[in-house]
Amino acid sequence: MTRFILPAVLFFLLVFEGTVFQVFAPDNRGADLELVPRFMFILIMLTGIIRGRSYSLFYGIIFGILYDIVYSPVLGIYTFGFGFFAYLFSVSNSYVKRRPSVTALLVTAAVIGLEYYLYGMMLLLGITALPHEAIFTSRLLPSFIMNGLLAALLAVPVRAWFIRMDGADMD
Amino acid sequence: MSPFFSNRRLIVLLVCLIFLVGLIGYSLSDQRGLSWPEQFIQDSVGTVQSVFSRPAYMISNAVDSVNELRNVYEENQMLRSHLDEYAALQSELTQLQRRNDELEEAMDVQDNLLDYSVRNATVIHRSPDRWNELIGINLGAQHGIEQDMAVITSQGLIGKIRDVSQFSSSVQLLSDQDANNRISAMAESDDETIYGFMEGIDDETGHLRFTKIDVDIEVEEGMIVSTSGLGGVFPDGLTIGEIVDVTTDEYGLSQTALVEPAADYYHLDYVMVIERGASQTSLFDELDEEEEDMVPQIDPEADPDEDPAADPEAVPEEGVE
Repeated sequence: MTRFILPAVLFFLLVFEGTVFQVFAPDNRGADLELVPRFMFILIMLTGIIRGRSYSLFYGIIFGILYDIVYSPVLGIYTFGFGFFAYLFSVSNSYVKRRPSVTALLVTAAVIGLEYYLYGMMLLLGITALPHEAIFTSRLLPSFIMNGLLAALLAVPVRAWFIRMDGADMD
Repeated sequence: MSPFFSNRRLIVLLVCLIFLVGLIGYSLSDQRGLSWPEQFIQDSVGTVQSVFSRPAYMISNAVDSVNELRNVYEENQMLRSHLDEYAALQSELTQLQRRNDELEEAMDVQDNLLDYSVRNATVIHRSPDRWNELIGINLGAQHGIEQDMAVITSQGLIGKIRDVSQFSSSVQLLSDQDANNRISAMAESDDETIYGFMEGIDDETGHLRFTKIDVDIEVEEGMIVSTSGLGGVFPDGLTIGEIVDVTTDEYGLSQTALVEPAADYYHLDYVMVIERGASQTSLFDELDEEEEDMVPQIDPEADPDEDPAADPEAVPEEGVE
């Protein structure tokens, strides 16, 4: 049973980002701030760092496909983006694993990389035409800060959860 | 540790990139309906989403209503003053409506762009990345939703149906910057009508852009922009917003107006899907029913011995004829 908990949590986060978070999002309340939640990707990244690169690649592609179909008008962008950045930033060695601060920084770097990759793709495909300065302070920076804070909050408990689930396989 | 990208991995990466480009090309092609795996996934996720969104709306509405309690007295005063006007307007409306009906009858008008039918839908998700302005609703092909139908709130037009699955569909808001997001619109002043297109939003102000207006026409601020019904899918006269600014484009060939939307594109929970030309379909339905009614009247004639008691009134009538 325990191995279905992680996919279930990831699926819950996928739904949460589009429904509950959007109802309470600050721009829904008339603020200029736009927060883009990447909760699911953060958990995929933490999985990759703590349990190994193959896990994050697998979950990144599977949930990328779901994300593409449910939320995006163009297929393939999130599938490739989640898979690629989850693989690239899942540095799973003992130095990173033992230090939650380094883990959180790495996850934040992955979120930043993903967001700029998406911005580039959307510009390329003509889905958005917003210049960088128009969205940097209102959308990108606040989103990075929120996701970074969440990664810092989750790094320790998620690590403890995976250790309990897999047994103590920390080197 | 193994090298970061070995040769084999590079090849896999390249294959993935080619696959990505192919997939994007496939999904960007026009006139593409959703394939059945996409429909299946959208419907199943949509079911879960509607379970999640309902309590979220309940909580947010509760918070809102507590906030609104503070303004109740002022609002009540204002509404009361409007109420006096309402009675006068109501009588005027019925009068005008009757007059309009008579005139239409006299002119023998059958095709009315204003006729439409409405379906109520709940918003079940909004795309979390703000690159796409898409929302999901809980109605799909099984409820009669089709691509490109207009979607409104009580305040005005918000967008059109983009993709349809069996039990859910996605709506592209007017503020989406996709190059294909274009709607035929018009603005009316006392003496003339301006036609143009609604095309995305302005980068700086965030207002909607009303483009391709003839340069010779003088556009005034404060004019109300609505759908023109010329595109063939949307009905006529759905309010879009109010013109706040006008500029001439860089070549001086046409004008672009900035439109402040009437509807709130952010705080969406319930929307309405508009189907055009409902009166005509209902007319056809009536015709069908009449034809069906004809059938049992003919039957007793052909076979009078079988069941004459079933339609006692029909027999003397036909006898008279």
